[in-house]
Amino acid sequence: MISNKNITACLMLGLLASPALADNHATNNAAASYGPFPVTLKSYSGEQTDSVSYSGQIGRQLLHTSLKKAIATNAGIDTLRRYFNGDDGTLPILDPVSSAKFRVDHNDVNAISRTNLSDKAYRGSIAGWPGNLSGRQMLEQMLTRAAAVPNGYDAKHGYDYVQLVSKFTMGGVFYHQACDNYLDEKLEAGNKPNNKPYRDGAYYTGKEHSWDEAFGYWGAAAHGASLTAQQNYAIAKKKDMVSADANADGMVNLKSEMNYAHAYYAASFDRGGNTNYYSIITRAFIDGRQIIADANGEALSDTQRNALMGKARVICANWERVIAEAVFKYAGSVYADLAKLKSGGDENTYRAYVKHWGELKGFALSLHTSSQNLGELGRRIDGLIKFGPVVGGVVSADITQNSRRVSGVDAAGTFTFQDASVDEYMLYMLRLQQVMEDEFGVVAKDNDRLADIANLAEKLGSAEGVEND
Amino acid sequence: MPEFLDLIFTDVSAQFLSPGKRLFVGYLACALFIGVLFVCVAKRQSVTGALAMVFSPAIWLSRSSLFDLACFLINRLLFAVLRPLLITQIAVATFIYQALHMQALLPIGALQHVDYWLAATSFTLFYFLLDDFSRFGVHYLMHRIPALWEFHKFHHSAETLTPLTVTRAHPVEGVIFILRTASIQGITIALFVCLFGDKVDLLTIYGVSIFIFIFHGLGSNLRHSHIALRYPAALERIFISPAQHQLHHSRNPRHFDRNFGVVLAIWDRLLGSFHPSTHEEISFGLGPADAGYTKSVWSMYWLPFVALFRRLTGNRSRAPKNFERLR
Repeated sequence: MISNKNITACLMLGLLASPALADNHATNNAAASYGPFPVTLKSYSGEQTDSVSYSGQIGRQLLHTSLKKAIATNAGIDTLRRYFNGDDGTLPILDPVSSAKFRVDHNDVNAISRTNLSDKAYRGSIAGWPGNLSGRQMLEQMLTRAAAVPNGYDAKHGYDYVQLVSKFTMGGVFYHQACDNYLDEKLEAGNKPNNKPYRDGAYYTGKEHSWDEAFGYWGAAAHGASLTAQQNYAIAKKKDMVSADANADGMVNLKSEMNYAHAYYAASFDRGGNTNYYSIITRAFIDGRQIIADANGEALSDTQRNALMGKARVICANWERVIAEAVFKYAGSVYADLAKLKSGGDENTYRAYVKHWGELKGFALSLHTSSQNLGELGRRIDGLIKFGPVVGGVVSADITQNSRRVSGVDAAGTFTFQDASVDEYMLYMLRLQQVMEDEFGVVAKDNDRLADIANLAEKLGSAEGVEND
Repeated sequence: MPEFLDLIFTDVSAQFLSPGKRLFVGYLACALFIGVLFVCVAKRQSVTGALAMVFSPAIWLSRSSLFDLACFLINRLLFAVLRPLLITQIAVATFIYQALHMQALLPIGALQHVDYWLAATSFTLFYFLLDDFSRFGVHYLMHRIPALWEFHKFHHSAETLTPLTVTRAHPVEGVIFILRTASIQGITIALFVCLFGDKVDLLTIYGVSIFIFIFHGLGSNLRHSHIALRYPAALERIFISPAQHQLHHSRNPRHFDRNFGVVLAIWDRLLGSFHPSTHEEISFGLGPADAGYTKSVWSMYWLPFVALFRRLTGNRSRAPKNFERLR
């Protein structure tokens, strides 16, 4: 985890990189969008003029969105595995698909990049999920279980695999690859140097492509930094063709004009007006790419590399905070759902509760997958969320009757239960929000369950605190 | 340093410009209007005569009133530093709210389906009553516990009363008052959010609790003044009149430890400290036995610690001359 002090420092750096200082960028010839950037590789003599390339990451973004859709539409395990492991044949893009209001330029993942999610999934152990599996094993197991229940919804255990798989893929693949690999190890001086091609025959340098790949995992549209949070959010929701279509060709280019994954969540939080995650992170990516381009195909000097690493720290600190904001938000949702269910909620309320818990769990597990070891904090987070939500032992939706939750998995792979308390779990959700605020410094604080307390305290004020009657 | 001074200036300004503050110019204007009207009617004075009485230089420029001003400014400075160190009502409320999840007597959200107005009215009334009672209780203890009385003398040492006298509080008292406010607000907020969820609200006028707005709008600032506004006897048994509070400041031993209440008189009646207002001429202060207390502003701040130390060490024979006063 990155400390609050570091986050603050990174935010300060981020603010310096924000559009608020657009004039500064203009004078430094900084790019307004992520690409094009010139080909700088000295040994290259081909016809390429733009060195930006992150098709593989966009391919994975589309595998993720399609996998999510496939689970939700009751696809079989073979289909799910094709999207997880990749497939040499045609792999239809299930989401986003073209509509009259939002036309996209591709309908086959493999036409963009022949890739997969499984090879890039987190290999470390996931203590917050039954079985002590690696991130990859956990996702594989979740797909198997998802295919065994209708639309990936397991009411008995309180698992929504659409959300669990989706949210953990975003963290365990995209965030993990970007912040534990491309913006970490691959920024080291001797790793993927800037005066050599990324791989033999490539037209981009080692550092150029490392940085591009991290940007692709972030999931922002190349021109997204010039748009408002609302516009970026609407693009991700496929509701704003005009804002998405930067080159005005009547199609949304899925490689460069679409918002995906955590970039979408950042925009959604920024709409509240208290944060600027999307812009800060995307601008840091653009500025970092400019630093590499300015090296003009030479190995980065210590000064240049330090500047680049500074941008990387801004990106990963804010990215982590976006995930923490999501944990905060869904902890609040779960709390509200539990309050409704306690007072006689119906199946729909229970369905929403399970969905929200899946989102909460998927995002929370993601926090473990960066280069930062959460240590004791990680155990605290897992201890508050547990292995499963509180469910009813008689009827799942009646959470007050024989309340229980998943406690582990037996040798046969069957989930085991233990008794649980609804009120205690509600308290844990409050504490989880507190942890996100204290340890990760969340600001947007959607669904803040203590907001009522803060609002009332503000209204009451302490006006006469030292007045003497 | 300029930032700190700016903070102090903003804080001092807010005391007079925010409707949430006792010294808000609007409330002062209300008190002036009511005070002048009372003098004109009850004392059969002209408006000019009434204004001359209200703004008497003998009161406003007295040594005691100038000490009020000095204490007001010193306390603003002190509490700009102290206040951030003290627990807030949000911290108290959060702690209690979380603790309430571990009990079954008051189920979380048990009353969240009630009408908004019922929830908001209940909250506003409950807070008003608890706040008023707790003010009474703390005030009672400030008089009855000798160690606390040493610090409360700070307030009672005023020999002339102006609205600014309400801020004449020893910093130790100030800390106690802030902790009281944090506790009462924290308890009330936690309890009501627990029961009513997001239905809870405070009924306000200009952003201030409706009860507090009425209390101040009806001349609460006359409590610390020389305008002995009395209510009808029956009303004084419910609400403390300015004259009753002035009696509380009386240096006449017959009036000691009477009328601790702020808004409601019922607490005093319950604990036997109620006293109706009188037509007697009242003089304020600690009396000649405590003359040394107001020797200087410094002595007001320092002597309570000396007296407390001597109480704790049992060496009362060396207490400052004429400092002791039996209550």
